[in-house]
Amino acid sequence: MKTRYVKRHVRAFWLFVAPCLLLFSTFFLIPLGLSVGFSFTNYDGWKVMNFIGLANYKELFADTKFYQSLGRTFAYTLFSLPFKVIIPLLIASLVTSKRVKIKALARTLTYIPSLLSALVVGITINWMFSAEYGLVNYVIQVLGGTPLQWALNPKLATFVISFASNWASTGFYMVIFIGGLNNIPQEMYEAAAIDGSTTMQTFLRITIPMLAPTTFLVTLLSTVNLLKEYALVQGITQGGPGLNTTFIIQFIFDKGFNQMQYGYASAISLVVMVVFAFIAFVQFKFSNGGDR
Amino acid sequence: MSKPLLRVSRKWVPSTVTLLVSLAILFPIVWLVLSSFKETGELFSYPLAMLPSRFTFVHYRKVIGEGFFGYVFNSLFLAVVGTAITLVISAMCGYALAIYRHEVSYTNLVFGIFLLGTLIPGETLTVPQVTVISELGLYNNIWGVILPVVTTTTGIFMFRQHYLSIPLSFVEAARIDGSNEAQTFLYVMLPLGTSSTVTLAIFSFMWRWNDYILPLLVLSDQKKYTIQIAIKNYIGFNGVDWSSILAASVMSIIPIIILFIILQRYIVGGLSASGVKG
Repeated sequence: MKTRYVKRHVRAFWLFVAPCLLLFSTFFLIPLGLSVGFSFTNYDGWKVMNFIGLANYKELFADTKFYQSLGRTFAYTLFSLPFKVIIPLLIASLVTSKRVKIKALARTLTYIPSLLSALVVGITINWMFSAEYGLVNYVIQVLGGTPLQWALNPKLATFVISFASNWASTGFYMVIFIGGLNNIPQEMYEAAAIDGSTTMQTFLRITIPMLAPTTFLVTLLSTVNLLKEYALVQGITQGGPGLNTTFIIQFIFDKGFNQMQYGYASAISLVVMVVFAFIAFVQFKFSNGGDR
Repeated sequence: MSKPLLRVSRKWVPSTVTLLVSLAILFPIVWLVLSSFKETGELFSYPLAMLPSRFTFVHYRKVIGEGFFGYVFNSLFLAVVGTAITLVISAMCGYALAIYRHEVSYTNLVFGIFLLGTLIPGETLTVPQVTVISELGLYNNIWGVILPVVTTTTGIFMFRQHYLSIPLSFVEAARIDGSNEAQTFLYVMLPLGTSSTVTLAIFSFMWRWNDYILPLLVLSDQKKYTIQIAIKNYIGFNGVDWSSILAASVMSIIPIIILFIILQRYIVGGLSASGVKG
Protein backbone atom coordinates (compact mmCIF):
# COMPACT_ATOMS: atom_id res chain seq x y z
CA MET A 1 0.00 0.00 0.00
CA LYS A 2 2.70 2.42 1.11
CA THR A 3 5.04 1.59 -1.78
CA ARG A 4 2.28 1.99 -4.37
CA TYR A 5 1.60 5.42 -2.89
CA VAL A 6 5.24 6.43 -3.08
CA LYS A 7 5.56 5.12 -6.63
CA ARG A 8 2.62 7.24 -7.70
CA HIS A 9 4.14 10.25 -6.01
CA VAL A 10 7.49 9.70 -7.69
CA ARG A 11 5.70 9.65 -11.02
CA ALA A 12 3.77 12.79 -10.12
CA PHE A 13 7.02 14.48 -9.10
CA TRP A 14 8.60 13.82 -12.49
CA LEU A 15 5.49 14.98 -14.34
CA PHE A 16 5.45 18.23 -12.39
CA VAL A 17 9.12 19.00 -13.01
CA ALA A 18 9.08 17.69 -16.59
CA PRO A 19 8.31 20.96 -18.44
CA CYS A 20 11.02 22.93 -16.66
CA LEU A 21 13.53 20.11 -16.81
CA LEU A 22 12.88 19.47 -20.50
CA LEU A 23 13.19 23.12 -21.52
CA PHE A 24 16.19 23.66 -19.27
CA SER A 25 17.94 20.62 -20.73
CA THR A 26 17.17 21.60 -24.31
CA PHE A 27 18.20 25.24 -24.08
CA PHE A 28 20.82 25.19 -21.35
CA LEU A 29 22.39 21.79 -20.68
CA ILE A 30 22.59 20.70 -24.33
CA PRO A 31 24.12 24.05 -25.42
CA LEU A 32 26.58 23.68 -22.56
CA GLY A 33 27.57 20.25 -23.89
CA LEU A 34 27.65 21.53 -27.48
CA SER A 35 29.85 24.39 -26.38
CA VAL A 36 32.41 21.93 -25.05
CA GLY A 37 32.10 19.81 -28.21
CA PHE A 38 32.32 22.74 -30.66
CA SER A 39 35.37 24.10 -28.89
CA PHE A 40 37.43 21.18 -30.23
CA THR A 41 36.26 21.73 -33.81
CA ASN A 42 36.46 24.35 -36.56
CA TYR A 43 32.64 24.49 -36.84
CA ASP A 44 31.52 27.42 -38.98
CA GLY A 45 27.85 27.27 -37.93
CA TRP A 46 26.86 25.71 -41.20
CA LYS A 47 28.75 22.98 -43.06
CA VAL A 48 32.33 22.52 -41.93
CA MET A 49 32.94 20.70 -38.66
CA ASN A 50 36.27 18.91 -38.24
CA PHE A 51 37.88 17.81 -35.02
CA ILE A 52 40.94 19.98 -34.50
CA GLY A 53 41.85 19.08 -30.92
CA LEU A 54 43.10 21.91 -28.77
CA ALA A 55 43.90 24.23 -31.68
CA ASN A 56 41.17 26.72 -30.66
CA TYR A 57 42.53 26.94 -27.14
CA LYS A 58 46.10 27.36 -28.40
CA GLU A 59 44.93 30.14 -30.71
CA LEU A 60 42.95 31.71 -27.89
CA PHE A 61 45.82 31.86 -25.44
CA ALA A 62 47.94 33.57 -28.08
CA ASP A 63 45.19 35.97 -29.22
CA THR A 64 46.10 39.49 -28.12
CA LYS A 65 42.63 40.76 -29.13
CA PHE A 66 41.13 38.31 -26.64
CA TYR A 67 43.37 39.53 -23.82
CA GLN A 68 42.68 43.14 -24.74
CA SER A 69 38.93 42.55 -24.74
CA LEU A 70 39.06 40.73 -21.40
CA GLY A 71 41.33 43.43 -19.92
CA ARG A 72 38.98 46.14 -21.17
CA THR A 73 36.05 44.32 -19.57
CA PHE A 74 37.90 44.08 -16.23
CA ALA A 75 38.92 47.75 -16.34
CA TYR A 76 35.33 48.78 -17.09
CA THR A 77 34.02 46.56 -14.27
CA LEU A 78 36.54 47.84 -11.71
CA PHE A 79 35.87 51.45 -12.65
CA SER A 80 32.08 51.10 -12.48
CA LEU A 81 31.74 48.80 -9.48
CA PRO A 82 32.19 51.34 -6.64
CA PHE A 83 29.49 53.59 -8.10
CA LYS A 84 27.17 50.62 -8.61
CA VAL A 85 27.29 49.88 -4.90
CA ILE A 86 27.77 53.24 -3.20
CA ILE A 87 25.21 55.38 -5.03
CA PRO A 88 22.25 53.00 -4.43
CA LEU A 89 23.33 52.63 -0.80
CA LEU A 90 23.31 56.39 -0.26
CA ILE A 91 19.96 56.81 -1.97
CA ALA A 92 18.47 53.88 -0.03
CA SER A 93 19.67 55.55 3.19
CA LEU A 94 17.98 58.78 2.13
CA VAL A 95 14.65 57.17 1.27
CA THR A 96 14.51 55.18 4.51
CA SER A 97 15.52 58.11 6.71
CA LYS A 98 12.98 59.37 9.22
CA ARG A 99 13.85 62.92 8.32
CA VAL A 100 12.78 62.55 4.70
CA LYS A 101 9.16 63.27 3.81
CA ILE A 102 8.63 62.13 0.24
CA LYS A 103 10.00 58.58 0.53
CA ALA A 104 7.46 56.80 -1.68
CA LEU A 105 7.69 59.38 -4.48
CA ALA A 106 11.49 59.36 -4.43
CA ARG A 107 11.59 55.55 -4.56
CA THR A 108 9.21 55.45 -7.52
CA LEU A 109 11.10 58.08 -9.51
CA THR A 110 14.47 56.44 -8.79
CA TYR A 111 13.21 53.01 -9.82
CA ILE A 112 11.78 54.04 -13.21
CA PRO A 113 15.09 53.84 -15.19
CA SER A 114 15.41 50.18 -14.06
CA LEU A 115 12.31 49.38 -16.13
CA LEU A 116 13.94 50.29 -19.43
CA SER A 117 15.57 47.73 -21.71
CA ALA A 118 19.36 47.89 -21.82
CA LEU A 119 19.14 49.08 -25.42
CA VAL A 120 16.78 51.95 -24.60
CA VAL A 121 18.96 52.87 -21.60
CA GLY A 122 21.89 53.15 -24.00
CA ILE A 123 19.88 55.27 -26.42
CA THR A 124 18.55 57.59 -23.68
CA ILE A 125 22.00 58.35 -22.30
CA ASN A 126 23.59 58.47 -25.74
CA TRP A 127 21.06 61.15 -26.72
CA MET A 128 22.22 63.35 -23.83
CA PHE A 129 25.88 62.81 -24.65
CA SER A 130 25.79 63.06 -28.43
CA ALA A 131 28.69 65.18 -29.67
CA GLU A 132 26.60 67.53 -31.78
CA TYR A 133 23.40 68.93 -30.32
CA GLY A 134 23.64 66.77 -27.21
CA LEU A 135 22.45 68.33 -23.97
CA VAL A 136 25.69 67.71 -22.05
CA ASN A 137 27.89 69.34 -24.67
CA TYR A 138 25.42 72.23 -24.89
CA VAL A 139 25.66 72.84 -21.16
CA ILE A 140 29.48 72.65 -21.36
CA GLN A 141 29.43 75.27 -24.11
CA VAL A 142 27.04 77.54 -22.26
CA LEU A 143 29.38 77.36 -19.27
CA GLY A 144 32.24 78.41 -21.55
CA GLY A 145 33.93 75.01 -22.09
CA THR A 146 34.86 73.13 -25.22
CA PRO A 147 32.45 70.37 -26.28
CA LEU A 148 33.85 66.86 -25.81
CA GLN A 149 33.99 64.06 -28.39
CA TRP A 150 32.12 61.53 -26.25
CA ALA A 151 31.95 58.85 -28.92
CA LEU A 152 35.41 59.27 -30.46
CA ASN A 153 37.58 59.26 -27.36
CA PRO A 154 37.91 55.71 -25.92
CA LYS A 155 38.00 56.89 -22.29
CA LEU A 156 35.01 59.20 -22.69
CA ALA A 157 33.05 56.50 -24.55
CA THR A 158 33.72 54.04 -21.72
CA PHE A 159 32.65 56.68 -19.22
CA VAL A 160 29.33 57.22 -21.02
CA ILE A 161 28.65 53.46 -21.03
CA SER A 162 29.49 53.24 -17.34
CA PHE A 163 27.30 56.25 -16.60
CA ALA A 164 24.39 54.63 -18.46
CA SER A 165 24.87 51.31 -16.70
CA ASN A 166 24.94 52.96 -13.28
CA TRP A 167 21.97 55.12 -14.05
CA ALA A 168 19.88 52.11 -15.05
CA SER A 169 20.78 49.87 -12.13
CA THR A 170 20.57 52.39 -9.28
CA GLY A 171 16.85 51.88 -8.65
CA PHE A 172 17.08 48.09 -8.59
CA TYR A 173 19.98 47.97 -6.13
CA MET A 174 18.34 50.74 -4.07
CA VAL A 175 15.36 48.43 -3.52
CA ILE A 176 17.67 45.61 -2.42
CA PHE A 177 19.43 47.97 0.01
CA ILE A 178 16.06 49.17 1.36
CA GLY A 179 15.28 45.53 2.18
CA GLY A 180 18.62 45.21 3.97
CA LEU A 181 18.19 48.48 5.87
CA ASN A 182 14.71 47.48 7.05
CA ASN A 183 16.16 44.28 8.48
CA ILE A 184 18.52 46.09 10.85
CA PRO A 185 16.99 45.92 14.35
CA GLN A 186 15.65 49.32 15.38
CA GLU A 187 16.97 48.85 18.95
CA MET A 188 20.53 49.22 17.71
CA TYR A 189 19.74 52.72 16.51
CA GLU A 190 17.94 53.55 19.73
CA ALA A 191 20.93 52.35 21.75
CA ALA A 192 23.27 54.41 19.59
CA ALA A 193 21.07 57.50 20.04
CA ILE A 194 21.10 57.07 23.84
CA ASP A 195 24.90 56.83 23.76
CA GLY A 196 24.96 60.16 21.91
CA SER A 197 26.19 58.82 18.57
CA THR A 198 26.09 61.32 15.67
CA THR A 199 24.32 60.50 12.40
CA MET A 200 27.65 59.92 10.69
CA GLN A 201 28.94 57.65 13.46
CA THR A 202 25.72 55.64 13.43
CA PHE A 203 25.95 55.22 9.66
CA LEU A 204 29.59 54.08 9.75
CA ARG A 205 29.49 51.97 12.92
CA ILE A 206 26.03 50.39 12.71
CA THR A 207 24.47 50.69 9.25
CA ILE A 208 27.52 49.74 7.18
CA PRO A 209 28.57 46.66 9.22
CA MET A 210 25.00 45.40 9.67
CA LEU A 211 24.41 45.80 5.95
CA ALA A 212 27.42 43.64 4.95
CA PRO A 213 25.39 40.68 3.57
CA THR A 214 23.29 42.98 1.37
CA THR A 215 26.38 44.87 0.20
CA PHE A 216 27.98 41.55 -0.70
CA LEU A 217 24.93 40.53 -2.73
CA VAL A 218 24.83 43.85 -4.60
CA THR A 219 28.58 43.66 -5.27
CA LEU A 220 28.29 40.13 -6.64
CA LEU A 221 25.28 40.94 -8.85
CA SER A 222 26.88 44.15 -10.15
CA THR A 223 30.16 42.41 -10.93
CA VAL A 224 28.48 39.73 -13.03
CA ASN A 225 26.25 42.25 -14.78
CA LEU A 226 29.18 44.53 -15.59
CA LEU A 227 31.33 41.66 -16.87
CA LYS A 228 28.59 40.67 -19.32
CA GLU A 229 27.60 44.19 -20.44
CA TYR A 230 26.41 43.96 -24.02
CA ALA A 231 22.99 45.30 -25.05
CA LEU A 232 23.56 48.70 -23.48
CA VAL A 233 26.74 49.19 -25.52
CA GLN A 234 24.71 48.53 -28.68
CA GLY A 235 22.65 51.64 -27.90
CA ILE A 236 25.74 53.82 -27.42
CA THR A 237 28.96 52.92 -29.25
CA GLN A 238 28.31 49.44 -30.73
CA GLY A 239 31.80 48.60 -29.46
CA GLY A 240 33.68 51.55 -30.95
CA PRO A 241 35.65 53.64 -31.48
CA GLY A 242 37.61 50.81 -33.11
CA LEU A 243 37.29 48.00 -30.60
CA ASN A 244 37.68 50.29 -27.60
CA THR A 245 34.34 49.43 -25.97
CA THR A 246 34.04 45.87 -27.30
CA PHE A 247 33.63 43.92 -24.09
CA ILE A 248 34.07 40.18 -23.85
CA ILE A 249 30.49 39.08 -24.62
CA GLN A 250 30.42 41.18 -27.78
CA PHE A 251 33.85 39.76 -28.65
CA ILE A 252 32.35 36.24 -28.47
CA PHE A 253 29.32 37.24 -30.55
CA ASP A 254 31.52 38.92 -33.18
CA LYS A 255 33.64 35.77 -33.51
CA GLY A 256 30.59 33.49 -33.59
CA PHE A 257 27.90 35.27 -35.53
CA ASN A 258 29.81 37.79 -37.65
CA GLN A 259 32.96 35.84 -38.46
CA MET A 260 31.23 32.44 -38.37
CA GLN A 261 33.87 30.90 -36.10
CA TYR A 262 31.46 28.92 -33.92
CA GLY A 263 34.20 26.57 -32.75
CA TYR A 264 36.53 29.35 -31.70
CA ALA A 265 33.68 31.34 -30.12
CA SER A 266 32.72 28.26 -28.07
CA ALA A 267 36.27 27.92 -26.78
CA ILE A 268 36.27 31.59 -25.71
CA SER A 269 32.84 31.13 -24.06
CA LEU A 270 34.08 28.27 -21.93
CA VAL A 271 37.21 30.10 -20.83
CA VAL A 272 35.14 33.19 -20.02
CA MET A 273 32.68 31.04 -18.05
CA VAL A 274 35.53 29.71 -15.93
CA VAL A 275 36.98 33.21 -15.42
CA PHE A 276 33.57 34.59 -14.34
CA ALA A 277 33.01 31.68 -11.96
CA PHE A 278 36.49 32.18 -10.51
CA ILE A 279 35.79 35.89 -9.89
CA ALA A 280 32.51 35.08 -8.15
CA PHE A 281 34.28 32.42 -6.07
CA VAL A 282 37.04 34.85 -5.01
CA GLN A 283 34.46 37.46 -4.02
CA PHE A 284 32.59 34.83 -2.06
CA LYS A 285 35.71 33.65 -0.20
CA PHE A 286 37.00 37.16 0.35
CA SER A 287 33.79 38.30 2.02
CA ASN A 288 32.90 34.99 3.73
CA GLY A 289 29.70 34.98 1.70
CA GLY A 290 28.76 38.27 3.33
CA ASP A 291 28.64 36.84 6.84
CA ARG A 292 29.48 39.38 9.46
CA MET B 1 20.21 80.85 12.57
CA SER B 2 17.50 80.95 15.17
CA LYS B 3 16.31 77.74 16.82
CA PRO B 4 12.92 77.24 15.08
CA LEU B 5 14.48 77.93 11.69
CA LEU B 6 17.13 75.30 12.39
CA ARG B 7 14.44 72.79 13.22
CA VAL B 8 12.60 73.54 9.98
CA SER B 9 15.80 73.18 7.93
CA ARG B 10 16.60 69.86 9.63
CA LYS B 11 13.38 68.56 8.16
CA TRP B 12 13.42 70.26 4.80
CA VAL B 13 17.04 69.92 3.75
CA PRO B 14 17.05 66.08 3.59
CA SER B 15 13.67 66.02 1.86
CA THR B 16 14.75 68.60 -0.69
CA VAL B 17 18.01 66.78 -1.38
CA THR B 18 16.10 63.51 -1.85
CA LEU B 19 13.62 65.13 -4.21
CA LEU B 20 16.37 66.74 -6.29
CA VAL B 21 18.33 63.49 -6.51
CA SER B 22 15.31 61.50 -7.65
CA LEU B 23 14.32 64.16 -10.19
CA ALA B 24 17.88 64.15 -11.53
CA ILE B 25 17.67 60.38 -11.94
CA LEU B 26 14.39 60.71 -13.83
CA PHE B 27 15.65 63.59 -15.95
CA PRO B 28 17.20 61.65 -18.89
CA ILE B 29 13.78 60.04 -19.52
CA VAL B 30 12.02 63.41 -19.35
CA TRP B 31 14.56 64.79 -21.82
CA LEU B 32 14.01 61.79 -24.12
CA VAL B 33 10.23 62.24 -24.04
CA LEU B 34 10.29 66.00 -24.59
CA SER B 35 12.83 65.66 -27.41
CA SER B 36 10.61 63.14 -29.20
CA PHE B 37 7.97 65.87 -29.63
CA LYS B 38 10.39 68.37 -31.17
CA GLU B 39 10.53 68.99 -34.89
CA THR B 40 13.61 67.59 -36.63
CA GLY B 41 15.00 71.09 -37.23
CA GLU B 42 14.72 71.87 -33.56
CA LEU B 43 16.40 68.63 -32.52
CA PHE B 44 19.55 69.59 -34.39
CA SER B 45 19.99 73.28 -33.72
CA TYR B 46 21.31 75.38 -30.86
CA PRO B 47 20.25 76.80 -28.47
CA LEU B 48 18.52 73.81 -26.93
CA ALA B 49 15.29 74.40 -25.05
CA MET B 50 13.67 72.21 -22.46
CA LEU B 51 10.22 72.27 -24.08
CA PRO B 52 9.50 71.87 -27.79
CA SER B 53 8.60 75.25 -29.32
CA ARG B 54 5.70 73.40 -30.94
CA PHE B 55 4.65 69.87 -29.99
CA THR B 56 4.68 67.66 -33.05
CA PHE B 57 3.65 64.05 -33.50
CA VAL B 58 5.38 63.74 -36.84
CA HIS B 59 8.04 61.27 -35.62
CA TYR B 60 5.40 59.12 -33.96
CA ARG B 61 3.34 59.13 -37.12
CA LYS B 62 6.37 58.11 -39.18
CA VAL B 63 7.35 55.25 -36.82
CA ILE B 64 3.77 53.99 -36.62
CA GLY B 65 3.51 54.22 -40.41
CA GLU B 66 6.55 51.93 -40.62
CA GLY B 67 4.61 49.16 -38.91
CA PHE B 68 5.41 49.83 -35.27
CA PHE B 69 2.16 48.36 -33.96
CA GLY B 70 3.05 45.07 -35.63
CA TYR B 71 6.21 44.99 -33.54
CA VAL B 72 4.19 45.94 -30.46
CA PHE B 73 1.94 42.96 -31.14
CA ASN B 74 4.94 40.62 -31.47
CA SER B 75 6.44 41.92 -28.24
CA LEU B 76 3.11 41.60 -26.44
CA PHE B 77 2.79 38.02 -27.66
CA LEU B 78 6.32 37.22 -26.47
CA ALA B 79 5.76 38.89 -23.09
CA VAL B 80 2.26 37.57 -22.36
CA VAL B 81 2.74 34.00 -23.60
CA GLY B 82 6.26 33.80 -22.16
CA THR B 83 5.06 35.03 -18.77
CA ALA B 84 2.08 32.65 -18.72
CA ILE B 85 4.34 29.67 -19.47
CA THR B 86 6.90 30.81 -16.90
CA LEU B 87 4.24 31.09 -14.19
CA VAL B 88 2.68 27.69 -14.91
CA ILE B 89 5.87 25.65 -15.23
CA SER B 90 7.63 27.43 -12.34
CA ALA B 91 4.63 26.80 -10.08
CA MET B 92 4.54 23.12 -11.04
CA CYS B 93 8.27 22.66 -10.62
CA GLY B 94 8.56 24.63 -7.37
CA TYR B 95 5.55 22.75 -6.01
CA ALA B 96 7.03 19.34 -6.79
CA LEU B 97 10.42 20.27 -5.32
CA ALA B 98 8.75 21.34 -2.09
CA ILE B 99 5.90 18.86 -1.60
CA TYR B 100 7.66 15.59 -2.50
CA ARG B 101 10.84 16.40 -0.57
CA HIS B 102 10.24 13.55 1.93
CA GLU B 103 9.08 10.96 -0.59
CA VAL B 104 11.50 11.56 -3.46
CA SER B 105 15.12 11.34 -2.40
CA TYR B 106 16.63 13.32 -5.29
CA THR B 107 14.58 16.54 -5.11
CA ASN B 108 17.66 18.45 -4.01
CA LEU B 109 19.70 17.03 -6.87
CA VAL B 110 17.07 18.25 -9.37
CA PHE B 111 16.98 21.64 -7.67
CA GLY B 112 20.79 21.74 -7.87
CA ILE B 113 20.64 21.25 -11.65
CA PHE B 114 18.45 24.35 -11.95
CA LEU B 115 20.77 26.32 -9.68
CA LEU B 116 23.51 25.67 -12.24
CA GLY B 117 21.52 28.04 -14.43
CA THR B 118 22.23 30.95 -12.10
CA LEU B 119 25.96 30.21 -11.96
CA ILE B 120 26.57 30.32 -15.70
CA PRO B 121 25.66 33.56 -17.50
CA GLY B 122 23.32 32.70 -20.36
CA GLU B 123 25.20 35.07 -22.66
CA THR B 124 28.17 32.68 -22.77
CA LEU B 125 25.88 29.96 -24.17
CA THR B 126 24.17 32.04 -26.86
CA VAL B 127 26.22 30.65 -29.75
CA PRO B 128 25.28 26.94 -29.25
CA GLN B 129 21.76 28.00 -28.13
CA VAL B 130 21.15 29.45 -31.58
CA THR B 131 22.36 26.17 -33.10
CA VAL B 132 19.82 24.24 -31.01
CA ILE B 133 17.05 26.68 -31.95
CA SER B 134 17.82 26.22 -35.66
CA GLU B 135 18.04 22.44 -35.36
CA LEU B 136 14.56 22.43 -33.80
CA GLY B 137 13.26 24.42 -36.76
CA LEU B 138 12.51 27.42 -34.57
CA TYR B 139 14.73 29.87 -36.43
CA ASN B 140 12.79 32.99 -37.46
CA ASN B 141 9.90 31.82 -35.28
CA ILE B 142 8.60 33.66 -32.20
CA TRP B 143 8.63 30.34 -30.28
CA GLY B 144 12.36 30.26 -30.86
CA VAL B 145 12.70 33.29 -28.60
CA ILE B 146 10.03 32.21 -26.08
CA LEU B 147 10.90 28.59 -25.25
CA PRO B 148 14.61 29.08 -24.46
CA VAL B 149 13.97 31.73 -21.81
CA VAL B 150 10.81 30.66 -19.96
CA THR B 151 12.60 28.48 -17.39
CA THR B 152 13.91 30.80 -14.71
CA THR B 153 15.60 29.57 -11.58
CA THR B 154 14.28 32.68 -9.84
CA GLY B 155 10.72 31.58 -10.57
CA ILE B 156 11.26 27.98 -9.50
CA PHE B 157 12.97 29.20 -6.34
CA MET B 158 10.16 31.64 -5.48
CA PHE B 159 7.47 28.97 -5.76
CA ARG B 160 9.57 26.36 -3.95
CA GLN B 161 9.99 28.73 -1.00
CA HIS B 162 6.28 29.51 -1.05
CA TYR B 163 5.18 25.86 -1.00
CA LEU B 164 7.77 24.98 1.66
CA SER B 165 5.96 27.45 3.91
CA ILE B 166 2.59 25.67 3.50
CA PRO B 167 2.05 22.75 5.94
CA LEU B 168 2.15 19.32 4.30
CA SER B 169 -1.02 18.47 6.21
CA PHE B 170 -2.94 20.48 3.59
CA VAL B 171 -1.78 18.03 0.92
CA GLU B 172 -2.42 14.99 3.10
CA ALA B 173 -5.94 16.16 3.92
CA ALA B 174 -6.69 16.54 0.22
CA ARG B 175 -5.30 13.05 -0.51
CA ILE B 176 -7.43 11.50 2.22
CA ASP B 177 -10.44 13.17 0.67
CA GLY B 178 -9.62 11.26 -2.51
CA SER B 179 -8.06 13.98 -4.59
CA ASN B 180 -5.32 12.85 -6.98
CA GLU B 181 -1.94 14.63 -7.25
CA ALA B 182 -2.98 16.89 -10.13
CA GLN B 183 -6.24 17.85 -8.43
CA THR B 184 -4.43 18.61 -5.18
CA PHE B 185 -2.12 20.97 -7.02
CA LEU B 186 -4.81 22.62 -9.14
CA TYR B 187 -7.64 23.01 -6.62
CA VAL B 188 -5.92 23.10 -3.22
CA MET B 189 -2.40 24.45 -3.56
CA LEU B 190 -2.46 26.71 -6.62
CA PRO B 191 -5.28 28.92 -5.26
CA LEU B 192 -3.11 29.57 -2.20
CA GLY B 193 -1.41 32.02 -4.53
CA THR B 194 0.96 34.55 -3.27
CA SER B 195 2.12 38.07 -3.89
CA SER B 196 5.34 36.55 -5.21
CA THR B 197 3.28 35.21 -8.13
CA VAL B 198 2.46 38.79 -9.04
CA THR B 199 6.07 39.86 -8.50
CA LEU B 200 7.30 37.09 -10.79
CA ALA B 201 4.63 37.96 -13.38
CA ILE B 202 5.69 41.61 -13.49
CA PHE B 203 9.38 40.82 -13.73
CA SER B 204 8.84 38.13 -16.33
CA PHE B 205 6.72 40.48 -18.44
CA MET B 206 9.42 43.14 -18.19
CA TRP B 207 12.25 40.71 -19.03
CA ARG B 208 10.44 39.42 -22.11
CA TRP B 209 9.37 42.90 -23.24
CA ASN B 210 13.00 44.01 -22.98
CA ASP B 211 14.60 40.81 -24.39
CA TYR B 212 17.25 41.71 -26.90
CA ILE B 213 19.91 39.14 -27.70
CA LEU B 214 17.84 36.12 -28.81
CA PRO B 215 15.24 38.10 -30.81
CA LEU B 216 18.12 39.87 -32.57
CA LEU B 217 19.76 36.59 -33.53
CA VAL B 218 16.71 34.41 -34.14
CA LEU B 219 14.12 36.65 -35.84
CA SER B 220 15.24 37.50 -39.37
CA ASP B 221 11.94 38.40 -41.05
CA GLN B 222 11.10 42.05 -40.40
CA LYS B 223 7.42 41.20 -39.85
CA LYS B 224 8.45 39.09 -36.86
CA TYR B 225 10.63 41.71 -35.16
CA THR B 226 9.95 42.66 -31.57
CA ILE B 227 10.02 46.30 -30.49
CA GLN B 228 13.62 46.13 -29.29
CA ILE B 229 14.83 44.87 -32.66
CA ALA B 230 12.76 47.46 -34.49
CA ILE B 231 14.42 50.15 -32.34
CA LYS B 232 17.86 48.67 -32.93
CA ASN B 233 17.23 48.96 -36.69
CA TYR B 234 17.16 52.74 -36.43
CA ILE B 235 20.87 52.51 -35.58
CA GLY B 236 22.48 52.17 -38.98
CA PHE B 237 26.02 52.06 -40.32
CA ASN B 238 25.87 55.77 -41.04
CA GLY B 239 24.69 56.74 -37.58
CA VAL B 240 21.49 56.90 -35.63
CA ASP B 241 18.11 57.99 -37.05
CA TRP B 242 17.50 60.08 -33.95
CA SER B 243 14.10 61.53 -34.73
CA SER B 244 12.60 58.06 -35.25
CA ILE B 245 14.49 56.26 -32.50
CA LEU B 246 13.39 58.79 -29.87
CA ALA B 247 9.70 58.27 -30.66
CA ALA B 248 10.08 54.49 -30.92
CA SER B 249 11.94 54.35 -27.59
CA VAL B 250 9.28 56.42 -25.85
CA MET B 251 6.53 54.16 -27.15
CA SER B 252 8.47 51.09 -26.01
CA ILE B 253 8.66 52.25 -22.40
CA ILE B 254 5.05 53.42 -21.97
CA PRO B 255 3.47 49.98 -21.28
CA ILE B 256 6.15 49.04 -18.77
CA ILE B 257 5.91 52.32 -16.86
CA ILE B 258 2.09 52.10 -16.70
CA LEU B 259 2.33 48.52 -15.43
CA PHE B 260 4.90 49.59 -12.86
CA ILE B 261 2.88 52.50 -11.54
CA ILE B 262 -0.20 50.30 -11.09
CA LEU B 263 1.64 47.35 -9.53
CA GLN B 264 4.69 48.94 -7.93
CA ARG B 265 3.99 47.74 -4.40
CA TYR B 266 4.57 44.19 -5.63
CA ILE B 267 7.95 45.12 -7.08
CA VAL B 268 9.30 47.02 -4.11
CA GLY B 269 7.64 44.76 -1.54
CA GLY B 270 8.32 41.55 -3.45
CA LEU B 271 11.99 42.28 -3.97
CA SER B 272 12.74 43.18 -0.42
CA ALA B 273 10.58 40.45 1.13
CA SER B 274 11.19 37.41 -1.08
CA GLY B 275 14.68 36.56 -2.16
CA VAL B 276 16.83 39.00 -0.34
CA LYS B 277 17.57 38.76 3.35
CA GLY B 278 19.79 41.35 4.95
